[in-house]
Amino acid sequence: MPDLAPRVPGVEARAGKFPGPSLIPALHAITERVGWLPREELVALSREVHRPLYEIEGLISFYPHFRTTPPERVTLRVCHDLSCWLRGAEDRIAEARQRYARDPDIEFTECSCLGRCDTGPSVTVNQTPVTLARADTLIAAARNGSAPDVVAVPSARRWPNDPYASAAEHYGVLRDVLSGALPPGQVTAVLAESGLRGMGGAGFPTGRKWELVAAQVATPKYAICNADESEPGTFKDRQILADQPHLVLEGMLLGMLATGAEEGWVFIRHEYGPEEAVVRREIEHLRETGLLGPAVPTGRGNGAGRRLSVEVFTSPGGYILGEESALIECIEGHRGEPRNKPPFPGVYGLHGQPTLMNSVETLAHVPVIARRGAAWWKEQGAGESAGLKFFAVSGHVERPGVYCVPMGTTARQLLDLAGGVLDGRRPGAIQPGGASSNFLGPGQLDVPLDFGSLREAGSMLGSGALVVMAEGTDLLAAATNVLRFFRDESCGKCVPCRVGSTKAHQILADHLAAGGGPDDVDARITELEQVMRRTSICGLGQVALGPVASVLRLTGSPDPD
Amino acid sequence: MAITAPDRTGTVTLTIDGREVTATEGSTIWAAAKAAGIDIPVLCHDERYDPVGVCRMCVVDVGAPAFAAACVRACESGMQVQTATPEIERSRAVLTEMLLADQPDREHDPKQATTGDNELLALADRFGLTHNDALPRARGRGTDFSSPVIAVDHDACILCDRCVRACDDIQGNDVIGRSGKGYATRIAFDLSDPMGASSCVSCGECVAACPTGALTNKPLHDVPIRPRTDLDAVDTVCPYCGVGCALTYYVDRDRGAISFAEGREQPGSHGRLCVKGRYGWDYAASAQRLTRPLIRREESYPKGALSADVRGELAQPDHQEEGRTKQGRSGKRGRKPGGLVDYAEVMPHFREASWDEALDLVARRLTEIHAAGGPAAIAGFGSAKCSNEEAYLFQKLIRTGFHTNNVDHCTRLCHASSVAALFEGIGSGAVSTTYGDVINADVAIVTGSNSTANHPVASTFFKQARRRGTTVIYVDPRADKMADHADIYCQLKPGTDVAFYNGVMHEIIRLDLVDHDYITRRTTNFEALAQTVRDYPPERAEQISGVPAEVIRRVARVWGEAGAGVIFWGMGISQHTTGTDNARCLIALCAITGNIGRPGSGLHPLRGQNNVQGASDMGLIPMFYPDYAKADDPGVKARFEQAWGTPDLDPKRGLTVTEIIGSALKGGVRGMYMLGENPFLSDPNINKVRKALAALEFLVVQDIFLTETAEFADVILPASSYLEKDGTYTNTDRRVQLGHKVLDSPGEARLDWRVVQDLANRIGLGWDYASPREIFTEMVSVIPSYANLSYDNLGPGGKLYPNPDPEHSDGTVVMFGERFNTDDGLAHLVPAEWLPAKELPSAEYPFVLNTGRMLEHWHTGSMTRRSYALDAIAPKALVFVHPDDAAEFGLADGDLARVSSRRGTIELEVSVSHREARGNCFIPFHFREAAANLLTIDEIDPVGKIPEFKFCAVRIEAVHA
Repeated sequence: MPDLAPRVPGVEARAGKFPGPSLIPALHAITERVGWLPREELVALSREVHRPLYEIEGLISFYPHFRTTPPERVTLRVCHDLSCWLRGAEDRIAEARQRYARDPDIEFTECSCLGRCDTGPSVTVNQTPVTLARADTLIAAARNGSAPDVVAVPSARRWPNDPYASAAEHYGVLRDVLSGALPPGQVTAVLAESGLRGMGGAGFPTGRKWELVAAQVATPKYAICNADESEPGTFKDRQILADQPHLVLEGMLLGMLATGAEEGWVFIRHEYGPEEAVVRREIEHLRETGLLGPAVPTGRGNGAGRRLSVEVFTSPGGYILGEESALIECIEGHRGEPRNKPPFPGVYGLHGQPTLMNSVETLAHVPVIARRGAAWWKEQGAGESAGLKFFAVSGHVERPGVYCVPMGTTARQLLDLAGGVLDGRRPGAIQPGGASSNFLGPGQLDVPLDFGSLREAGSMLGSGALVVMAEGTDLLAAATNVLRFFRDESCGKCVPCRVGSTKAHQILADHLAAGGGPDDVDARITELEQVMRRTSICGLGQVALGPVASVLRLTGSPDPD
Repeated sequence: MAITAPDRTGTVTLTIDGREVTATEGSTIWAAAKAAGIDIPVLCHDERYDPVGVCRMCVVDVGAPAFAAACVRACESGMQVQTATPEIERSRAVLTEMLLADQPDREHDPKQATTGDNELLALADRFGLTHNDALPRARGRGTDFSSPVIAVDHDACILCDRCVRACDDIQGNDVIGRSGKGYATRIAFDLSDPMGASSCVSCGECVAACPTGALTNKPLHDVPIRPRTDLDAVDTVCPYCGVGCALTYYVDRDRGAISFAEGREQPGSHGRLCVKGRYGWDYAASAQRLTRPLIRREESYPKGALSADVRGELAQPDHQEEGRTKQGRSGKRGRKPGGLVDYAEVMPHFREASWDEALDLVARRLTEIHAAGGPAAIAGFGSAKCSNEEAYLFQKLIRTGFHTNNVDHCTRLCHASSVAALFEGIGSGAVSTTYGDVINADVAIVTGSNSTANHPVASTFFKQARRRGTTVIYVDPRADKMADHADIYCQLKPGTDVAFYNGVMHEIIRLDLVDHDYITRRTTNFEALAQTVRDYPPERAEQISGVPAEVIRRVARVWGEAGAGVIFWGMGISQHTTGTDNARCLIALCAITGNIGRPGSGLHPLRGQNNVQGASDMGLIPMFYPDYAKADDPGVKARFEQAWGTPDLDPKRGLTVTEIIGSALKGGVRGMYMLGENPFLSDPNINKVRKALAALEFLVVQDIFLTETAEFADVILPASSYLEKDGTYTNTDRRVQLGHKVLDSPGEARLDWRVVQDLANRIGLGWDYASPREIFTEMVSVIPSYANLSYDNLGPGGKLYPNPDPEHSDGTVVMFGERFNTDDGLAHLVPAEWLPAKELPSAEYPFVLNTGRMLEHWHTGSMTRRSYALDAIAPKALVFVHPDDAAEFGLADGDLARVSSRRGTIELEVSVSHREARGNCFIPFHFREAAANLLTIDEIDPVGKIPEFKFCAVRIEAVHA
């Protein structure tokens, strides 16, 4: 008998609202065929699949990848977020705006972080990421209708989290598990013992997450690799995907075996086209070698083999999809709006089923831990900290890029590794954990970069992105830039984030435009920060005003609390 | 979806504001707090909808860094919840400030300035917030006044998603959603279209859901919408369809007019309404209401149609071009757009008279005809729009005053065949279960029913059930909206229902999915049925019906394997010459799988008129006395002779609607009393009806407007509208509900039951009923099914019959749990062979015409076309044609087409529709200027005597201006 009450406690109204498959692939298909989404196509789609027009409207108006007007020949986008802003994006944008204002071929837009902060200001030409220096060449090519096929080139660096000396050894742990030599539960146990925590920002203990999903009785279960890092200053996963797709996929397959999932998804942001190509190649390689397929041979059971499937899901765009439940909503074909939690994805995830979700870096660390053991992993950390950590370093720094260092390395050490502050200037402030982390002052550079120390210092490890601001940077303007990012990327679902981020940004932008500084900021900002932090549904709204508030604290403005 | 259902028997204990509270496992903090008497403010939450947790007004502290939304967060054992700490209260105040920032000023707020119940402003008051100066303002998101009935103000929208859930979760109309992202998000209709141009069906559920001024009703006829407390609330029932939704009219007594209507909680309709119920009530205030009795002038004899339209002149090809606009309306003789009877043309043929003169004349003429021609010369048409009390009195008048059973009403045109089959099969014509019981069904078949248009609120329950897991199978030649909400859609060819269902039963029997025990214990004649359907393997059923054999097999398997299956059907089953056979198949399909008599299973013919069930129960049919007592049974006759104190009731069955028309043509029936019926437009083959009406020696028409039929009248009596009287109405569920007087009748218009009593007394019956209540009491004494019901115990939601204990029970939902109403208590299976329709397409008339209703209009349009809203939304006659057929004739949307059958020709606009099958077309029958029934065939079902409205052959041509 059907039931009128919500089926799982805490599940929202929209769960199961649109029966049937996601319409996002169909919308992608129209876009591929026509270049945009004409109304007649949408009406025809709605009739064909018996789904309401408003569902389609909800999707195409939410995801930036969909457009309802024909594109110009060339779409040029320039990032305006913090790392690029620190590297002069404002001027570049002004120049480009002027230069292409009357160019009928070119549609110019500012955009949110493209995940290439190391070469900022970053630019895309018809979706292809380029450096500013190469933009003109690509624009010229695009005018003639040609588009380069870009595949990311591995950096050829040997990262310390790769246990394999050569490609021939790849997937050694996975083979051991499939053969029965290594029980999957043992991998989980080693992870739990190693203290590995989620590297996407939240830092949930990985072993415990795997245990939780493994313990769920409901089937099927799913696994998702969250490759949707999109926060300004954050691009470490991009490098890992380019250099270590085998580790990421092996980690994911181990997770699937350990939790009982048969289907896995790599959810990758669509700005990572070159890296996606690498991942797809690697998946193809896995299929060819029989490690993915309808019946992957195992050493146990009746020899029937085990179904293991991994597919790539290209994000239709938006930072919010990095939030795990928004990501799931997106795969299900809904607007990418985070769910109220609990229930968490481990219990009620994709299609309401138990779902294991880990970020790229987390999964990339799994093989080495499984191979070398928890003790080895712990030893890799500096001081009390355990393991290795990838950092993206950007902003006012000599050698922006991705660095893999012992967890607990100090900010100063990492900054030195990256060649120090740009042009030999003195450090003014850092964001140690991406756009959502609170600013730390120059006096806090010796804080070890790990979960606990950064929390104690009033910030967080976050997404592993060190953004450096040289002395003299207008920190309030920098924090307001960060706030703008969150405002632009707010999904709009809940009131505090949707309205609060907008109103707060308006107050601050007006304040800055009027020449105001940190000492005379409207006290409403502090109040809005508190309300947004405590009442927003997801992390985006909760942290959106955090950096601004941290700047007000750093600069010693009076705090009403 | 395989989701583990929580253990609902379990409870959890938690602490809310220091109080220990025990709640059902899975219940939300908000619900648990409410049960404990703790009020947590909400904006986006409403118990009618599943929660979304977006406004954050209900946040509570559960000891985590972030607050939880109480409306969605489930209670957990040992949880410590604080609902109103200073920080929480401050957070709520700041959230309110955020939402206030972009709102319209209080005095201009579309809700506060009308109904005065803006929930956001109430919160602002609660937190002591003066309006919106705390944060930067950003208004100018725009307004949308494109809908005739609903105003949209995007500045006032707080994106609570209540309208979204009202539109899809409650009504299943799927029009409203969120568009855009972040701060730019707004509610949008379809592809962000203007509301009035979208697929919105104007049910107004979104308005009822909206907490702010974002979605508000527009005032109709400049009657201002005011706070409910300033208006007089009258609880009653919707006057339109058989779903019988409960509603409240808010009446502005100063203006003597309705300000607005609102759905009212009732166990069936649950406060839902459709466009007709919510916005279609202003017909009663039309200036065209009849207010004085009218007598035909001497010079207007011999009788005949008085207007050019009703004479049929405009339908003649040689008159067509003249004065005709592209909209298909005549500019000739200044006829009002809208195509209603032209009063200026007709009224001069009548003179006003006093009630006494008019009633004396009616009594004298009917008595004379009766004296001269005997009982067979008199007939009466009552109406399913009238109350039970009126129907009861009307049939009693005809039967006791004129000693004839020639009394019928529009049920003949509606479910007569279904009722015939049901009586034969299970001994009762009423539904075996309610429409709301669909939620308990594993499978529901909806067939021959454009439910979203004809039973809109019932269809919301079908759609909602599907969202909750019921498999919906839709079987209909037209892919109307239910097809979008079906798991399996079978687009069968018109008139092939018997073949299709025989095919399904063939497969069910072949797979042995029948309920042997049920068949043995509760049915007869299974072998004969099995024998017949043996000749209908799915491949043969496919040949006839056009539904692929594999789909027929799938339907059979899904139905056969279901734990509980229910069938809902409409006129698409009944209005065929094989209507009775069609219904026999549905009964058999349910019976052989044991699907009658348990929750979520059964047979439900969706009744059309608001009181067609009641009028039939009252005996307003020629073959039955009240409560379906057989008219030709001497025992029954004797019983009613005694009950009514009359010596000579008619010992034979009377004539049906269609037979009466035929009899009038042959001089049999010579005098008629028509109460609220308009056979000119509602009966098939208008050209024949015209002749029959003109042939009557005497016709008295009692109605609220001048109808087409009234043009043939000798006397016209001004009646009261539904809104002006008290009485009971029985809906499709067998729910008997009280309708209450809302407004006074205009002029000298009289209550119908009083008019009937006045006439009865003039022919010497000596009646003395003081009120409908008194009539009801007498009724119940002769209608055992209504036993125990009284005006005192019907209550605000009405009661289902049978009802052993109306004081404490809503009544019987599922009937026939143990036995059927047949003499032997068993279901009688009646096999049916497929027979083709009477008039098949030919080279000359290659299309199949289907007729029916539109959502916005009611029958002959005399009410709905006088409603501002309904007329504005659906102003004109249309023929719906498949895109490829339209292309073949070079017809585009809005082009004028000529549609002809062997019986007549009409012209009307084309609507190119992906919902039609090729070779079929559909014409709603509401529009006299393009009357579908000029085309329809008057062939009838041999058992139910119902005309074949759903099938005749026509030709379509483009009309080039």
